[in-house]
Amino acid sequence: MAEPTTTKLNPETHLLLDQPLLRMPYELSRKNYKAASRIFEQHRDATLKDLKNSANAALSAPDAPKALSDLDAMISRLQTLKRKLSDLQQTEENIQRQSKARIAHLNELYQIPSLADVKYDEWSRVRLDRLLVDYLLRSGYGESARQLAQEKGIEELVDVEAFVECFRIEESLRKGQPKAALLWCADNKQALKKINSNLEFELRLQQYIEMIRTGDTQKLMEATMYARKFLAPHQDTNFAIRAAGLLAFPPDTPAEPYKTLYSSARWEHLATLFVQTHHSLFSLPPRPLLHIALSAGLSALKTPFCHSQTASCSENALSSTTSVCPICSTELNTLARNVPYAHHTKSHVENDPVVLPNGRIYGSERLRQFNEMVGTAPGKIKDPRDPMGTAYDESQVKKVYIS
Amino acid sequence: METLSEEQAKLEQRGSLDKTIGDVQATIDLLVNARYAIITNPDSAGKALATLQTPVKKSFDRVKADLSEIHTALSEYGKALPKASKDKPFPTAENDALSSHPSLVNRAIAMHLLREGQFGVASTFIAEANSHPPHTAAIPDTSSGLSDGIRWEQDFADGTFKSESLQRQFGEMYHILSSLRQHHDLGPAIVWARWHSAILEARGSNLEFELHRLQFVCLFLGVAPLNGQSSFSGDDSNGPLKAWQYAKTHFAPFQARYGREIQQLLGALAFHQNLSDSPYRRTFHTDSAWEDVATSFTREFCSLLGLSADSPLYIAATAGAIALPTLVKLQNIMKEKRTEWTTVHELPVPTPLPPHLIFHSIFVCPVSKEQATDANPPMMMPCGHVIAKESLDRISKGARFKCPYCPSESRPSEARKVVL
Repeated sequence: MAEPTTTKLNPETHLLLDQPLLRMPYELSRKNYKAASRIFEQHRDATLKDLKNSANAALSAPDAPKALSDLDAMISRLQTLKRKLSDLQQTEENIQRQSKARIAHLNELYQIPSLADVKYDEWSRVRLDRLLVDYLLRSGYGESARQLAQEKGIEELVDVEAFVECFRIEESLRKGQPKAALLWCADNKQALKKINSNLEFELRLQQYIEMIRTGDTQKLMEATMYARKFLAPHQDTNFAIRAAGLLAFPPDTPAEPYKTLYSSARWEHLATLFVQTHHSLFSLPPRPLLHIALSAGLSALKTPFCHSQTASCSENALSSTTSVCPICSTELNTLARNVPYAHHTKSHVENDPVVLPNGRIYGSERLRQFNEMVGTAPGKIKDPRDPMGTAYDESQVKKVYIS
Repeated sequence: METLSEEQAKLEQRGSLDKTIGDVQATIDLLVNARYAIITNPDSAGKALATLQTPVKKSFDRVKADLSEIHTALSEYGKALPKASKDKPFPTAENDALSSHPSLVNRAIAMHLLREGQFGVASTFIAEANSHPPHTAAIPDTSSGLSDGIRWEQDFADGTFKSESLQRQFGEMYHILSSLRQHHDLGPAIVWARWHSAILEARGSNLEFELHRLQFVCLFLGVAPLNGQSSFSGDDSNGPLKAWQYAKTHFAPFQARYGREIQQLLGALAFHQNLSDSPYRRTFHTDSAWEDVATSFTREFCSLLGLSADSPLYIAATAGAIALPTLVKLQNIMKEKRTEWTTVHELPVPTPLPPHLIFHSIFVCPVSKEQATDANPPMMMPCGHVIAKESLDRISKGARFKCPYCPSESRPSEARKVVL
């Protein structure tokens, strides 16, 4: 049977919530690399083509000044390439510094012998700060996140910029502006194709819908062209057909699916879709890490007593011999109401339990300590929950057997 | 983790664009040389450009090779990565009680920030949360009967929720704590303890006396607060006398409860010249005293506010991280076996936690192996054995019955409800 308590720390399994920590820099590195090779290929192809053209031109009709100006153009193009690459290298160095700090942070956990160690406590506090920053960023509270990360000195361990950018695009979609999102799609075209994302089509469809909504003939023509260019390539032919169908229905149509397509709730849907796509592209979990950790934690800590009518003896705010349970504390009490409580297979009570005439059970040692501190008269015992109440005779305190 | 660290170092070295940039520069140099050749000999322009093509192409190939080396380094690192994270273990969103209550989570965070003394971040957060209230996720509300329509941000703003006073409270707490820790100044703490004297005493807390005692010890040893208040001169010889004065004015109310300790303290006065050889030496050992007093002060302070001493958010997140591996394993097994988890109110597996994270006593009925709840409370039979009410009803069927753990017999009506 499993023991109710453990202090064993297994770092391998313990690092569940921390995978995005290493994933994110890796994805950023890859993105960086892809940007570098794309830029390089563009510049190379253009340069080689120009070089060939001007060589041909020079061979057929030698013209030194023309050749020189061609060369100058090529040189300045390559210099641009070099500058862009240097910028990317700058970014890459930052990413690697982050990676290093994160690996070091995770590595610390491997040096900690047990869960009861003070070092684990410290490590766990840093983790909480990370989770908080993650939560703040996902909720769009960028400034708070930045400030917290700065005060705690964990900037290398959190991805503030990526999330702030993501939130900015998300908000712009909520406001009905697809431009930023489309730019982002263009930036990540290859990666999006790989995960078979529909995001760009959905965004284009929305733009198309907006054009039709105007009802202006000129706009309708444009919309048709737009649809041919951007919507037709969709794998599912019905997608384009449905879009074409929109032309026949006015924006206030009650007919489905067109009603849904015209609905302004589509922007909200797009915003959600964008965030989903963004997170899966960077291997970020869809939910805030804090939620995952908290819901597990609330359950593990919760007991049937935490929302009970009768206040428990083993924990209460009235006596200084016990500490207040975090689930019973104001912050989390309401939140914890809906989670299941922890499963226990064994009773877990204080040593040598005794019962008072009012039915309350305490460890005899704690009861003695408490009564000594409040200065109960000798031979009498007071209930720590009710220090002002009656004092019982010591003989009324009975031993109780709990297996 | 060690290997990953090595892989990262490798990547940092091989993944750098420096070499690529160098080779781009080499290409530029080729062009510049050609340009120079054309300037010196304008007639050869055509030839120069024609012969330039192959070297430039080759130079570009070198750049390309540099880039693909980076690619190799990246994919090697990528292969090393997933080892640290074998399966995709994030719990699914099914049983998420939190997403539907973003404002409660926000409140918990705001309170956490306040109690951690991060007042700056807290006020930024409250302002930001006010201007962008959370988007409630489109997950069905798990809390039908819950009346949490209260918008805490609003409450925070008009101060109807305890926020303002809470912030002030924690502000006070941090002021007192910093006096204690940084300046070794007991003044503010003693004032606070005197103010709350009655309630502290009822709780059985000896904080107030502890503070006075530490003050006495400091006076006795002539230890001045670190900020160097003038009234505490470094004059050692005066120490015991001052301490005596202090004891006379302050110890009287504690005479009843702490008579013995006070006697000990005063007894030490006689040994003031050779304290280190006296039996009182341990009483005057103050190394850890400051930290002890600070911890005990934090605990009392938070308890009076009805809050736990350590941030609940911190404890819950820590407990969560400890319990997660078990829960993830469970989730995987359930997926494999396609079974459902039927006990909605209770986790199906034990999630062991370290002892300092266990707060309540747990009663598991030895007969039914179920945890006691409000509806099924623990009952004590006259022999002192305790079982759950449902078990008791089942065994006794209303008539006289034998205790399942000892030979004694009793009637169900003789069993008494107990509270753990």
